[in-house]
Amino acid sequence: MTKRITRRSFLRASAGSAALASAGVVGFADWQAERAHADEAADAAQATGETKRVSTLCNGCTNECGLWVNVKDGVIHTLEGNPESPNSGGRMCGRGHGFAQMTYSADRLLHPMKRMENGDFEPISWDQAYLEIASKLTAIIAKNGPQAFAFIRDPRPNINFYGPRFTAALGSSNIYTHGASCNLSLQSAYRATIGGGFSADIANAKMIMFIGRSYADGITPANVKALANLSTGTECHIVIVDPRFNNSGHLADQWVPIKPGTDLAFVLAMSNVLIEDELYDKDFVDKYVLGFNAFKKEVAQFSPEWASDICGIEAEIIRELAYEMAAAAPAAVIEPSWRAAFGCAHQNSFMTGRAVAAFNALLGNYGQKGGALITSSPALGALPADKFPSPPLVDTPRVGNAEYPLAVPGMGTNLAALKAMIAGDIKAVFFYQSNAAKGYANPKVWEEGLDKCDLVVDIDVQMSETAMLADYVLPECSYLERLEAVYTQGGKKHTVSLRDKAIDIVHPDTRPLDQIMRELSAVIGVGKYFDFTIDELVEAQLNSIGLTTEELREKGIIDLGTSDFEYGKVPAFATPSGKIEFYSVTVGKAGLSPIITWQDRKAHPAEGEFYFVGGKQSVQSHTMTTSIEALMNISKEYKLERLWVNASDAEALGIKEDDTVEISSSEYTDTIRVHVTERIMPGVVWAPTHYGGSSPYLTQGYDFGICVPNFQPFDMEPGTGATMSQEFTVSIKKVGA
Amino acid sequence: MARYGMLIDTRRCVGCFACRLACQMKNTLGPKEGFVHFEHLETGAFPHVDAEVIPMQCMHCEDAPCQHVCPTGATHTTEDGVVLVEESKCIGCKYCMVACPYSVRMIEEKSGVVEKCRFCWDDELGGPNNPSCVATCIADARIFGDLDDPESDVSKAIAELGAQPIAGDLTKTKIFYVRG
Repeated sequence: MTKRITRRSFLRASAGSAALASAGVVGFADWQAERAHADEAADAAQATGETKRVSTLCNGCTNECGLWVNVKDGVIHTLEGNPESPNSGGRMCGRGHGFAQMTYSADRLLHPMKRMENGDFEPISWDQAYLEIASKLTAIIAKNGPQAFAFIRDPRPNINFYGPRFTAALGSSNIYTHGASCNLSLQSAYRATIGGGFSADIANAKMIMFIGRSYADGITPANVKALANLSTGTECHIVIVDPRFNNSGHLADQWVPIKPGTDLAFVLAMSNVLIEDELYDKDFVDKYVLGFNAFKKEVAQFSPEWASDICGIEAEIIRELAYEMAAAAPAAVIEPSWRAAFGCAHQNSFMTGRAVAAFNALLGNYGQKGGALITSSPALGALPADKFPSPPLVDTPRVGNAEYPLAVPGMGTNLAALKAMIAGDIKAVFFYQSNAAKGYANPKVWEEGLDKCDLVVDIDVQMSETAMLADYVLPECSYLERLEAVYTQGGKKHTVSLRDKAIDIVHPDTRPLDQIMRELSAVIGVGKYFDFTIDELVEAQLNSIGLTTEELREKGIIDLGTSDFEYGKVPAFATPSGKIEFYSVTVGKAGLSPIITWQDRKAHPAEGEFYFVGGKQSVQSHTMTTSIEALMNISKEYKLERLWVNASDAEALGIKEDDTVEISSSEYTDTIRVHVTERIMPGVVWAPTHYGGSSPYLTQGYDFGICVPNFQPFDMEPGTGATMSQEFTVSIKKVGA
Repeated sequence: MARYGMLIDTRRCVGCFACRLACQMKNTLGPKEGFVHFEHLETGAFPHVDAEVIPMQCMHCEDAPCQHVCPTGATHTTEDGVVLVEESKCIGCKYCMVACPYSVRMIEEKSGVVEKCRFCWDDELGGPNNPSCVATCIADARIFGDLDDPESDVSKAIAELGAQPIAGDLTKTKIFYVRG
């Protein structure tokens, strides 16, 4: 195994960005020269004055917002939201505008890279990369079997088609998303309780409660607009339950500060009030709920008075909120949330999700105007088998499925794969647009796991921290330079759209994923499953639903008109019993309480310690956006990396605005500037979760702010295998004090 | 002839920076440059707090201090009430930066010109071209239009919501705010 470059060894070996170049391999200077060349090409093309407008999907997060891209002289000029897009609603967030600039970033990967014996990276040809990867991969599989291979991805239309197909073609079932560090807990909880996810009918709600989630920080443009409409144009009671007065707080009517990781107690206590005071929807519960009596008995002990100490909320406020929700029902809803407070944060996040789904059931709001909506998704038809043969189904269960049976099958828990790497069972791993080693769990554990692998391949547009730990890094072109497989979106309407190629490839030695998969699979010997171009695939996918590529390109987004959603109709619940399961045999079999009940968070602050909460920001959502110059300049100008500390806590510790503090958990110590504010609960500190870059190739985000996963002990939520991203406490002290 | 102006509703604004970034791209500004900047106001004490974000940009004053002090006439007002800078006349003396009570003028690095929001003025069109800050606003916190047309969306909203200039009648601005 060749040596990995760590941030420390990189700094030791050199003093700055010239290091790689002086070591005789590619460096920033070479990259810049390539970039300058690209500039010249762009200038030459300017003479034509040609403009065009291309419909595509943003890639700044997983929302797949529909856009129109305006291209001038072959260069991206501006972007606009597509009004037909359910998520963008015709608008576009700042992160989206910024992420488009990735295409022209000076820090992009330009050539396939191979790690050499001394740990440095050297550019190699695609042919060499394919030959070496194929030879190592086939040897690993021949020796250890196909389950020694795993593929981890951040889901996007192309990788969702090619990733599972490539994994299955190799005979492995180990395909994962990033979910374990995102919303795995709550999606698994909703699947166990109501059979799948739900959405809040924001536009029609009379009361809406957000627990931990902030539309203004983890942005979907259409949601922000809908919330702003609710806030200024209606009588809807908007409640934010969060340790922090987040950036949606200004749109809310009421902020209920809560101790982190205790949302479950809060929801159970509100359920207690609805049941004890007979405010719940009895008809709905009788008809659609399984296990209500057992739940009623269970929550009898969870009074608002009981929850008050745990949550740090007055019992009377909990009672009032329950009464108000009941009065507004069925046009009242606890919003489903995303990563936020119970997507993957605590050991009780799965149980919290179950309780939220159950509380909505007590309100009888499923399928109702202003309530919780369960909608369907459109499906593409079958592809012609002669042109697009599918690899045989792999029966072997995915690594992690046995230990974490509650994880949503479409996600799985990539942390189980990580453990298998450490145990020596998984020996080859591919990543696609996934900075697992920086964001999914403690980076030092990822470093250990990847170090034990015999082959690590990363496909990305930039040299992420995960790429730094790979043996081969394959440079993809940016999202604006490629066509991807067809994207379908469910909901109140069913739409189909495309991430399309808006401009020609900027850097000639970068390639789109579909081409990489086709070429690599041919060298491996499984090319028959990939013997088609992306254009052929897209056309066949669209033909399967009676459309053509030309038609879709012209319209941008097409409403298929196949949604069967109607208000007032109680949806089908795809659970084993067909009912909303307050009691779940499946959950019981996984070793968790079959009845929804109280379960504490794991880490509690000792005297003088703080709870830690983290979150997204409008201009940054994942580590991948911190390499964008325009976005990072906002982060720097507005000091967005700072740790939020309550004013009374700051005073007690002698900390003033912008002071630097040392922050320590059981795992790590770092320094960070402080923002002193009244907008956070005493005893809690907050920091953004995407900073602290340590890849010296990524100049913009390098060493700015803290890397939150460094502070997080490696752990996995029982049942789901989620990362438990906030199960730690911290101490802080002023530097120099 | 129109009199262009804008309404910014801070009750709806979530401070997402989309306006600054959309503007930056449309007006081909550098990655550190912005015609829009933001004031963050925190009020109250835990747990009774509020936080307001106020986007600031050229207010297109009818009584524009930057125009009064401009020694070359580079800063001028069009017939439609849009305050513009004529690049060839700007000598980069920065008087306008000092004179602007809203601190919204900035030196554009590539040209040395002291620039500012121009309501996405389009020379070919001879007027504003769908200002990008309005087009992209994810919270619908901005409305643009003709202040002289009582039927325009912006005029109706200003009247209905009682929108006011940010600093009273200091410079007779054409950006009106709904605050809260």
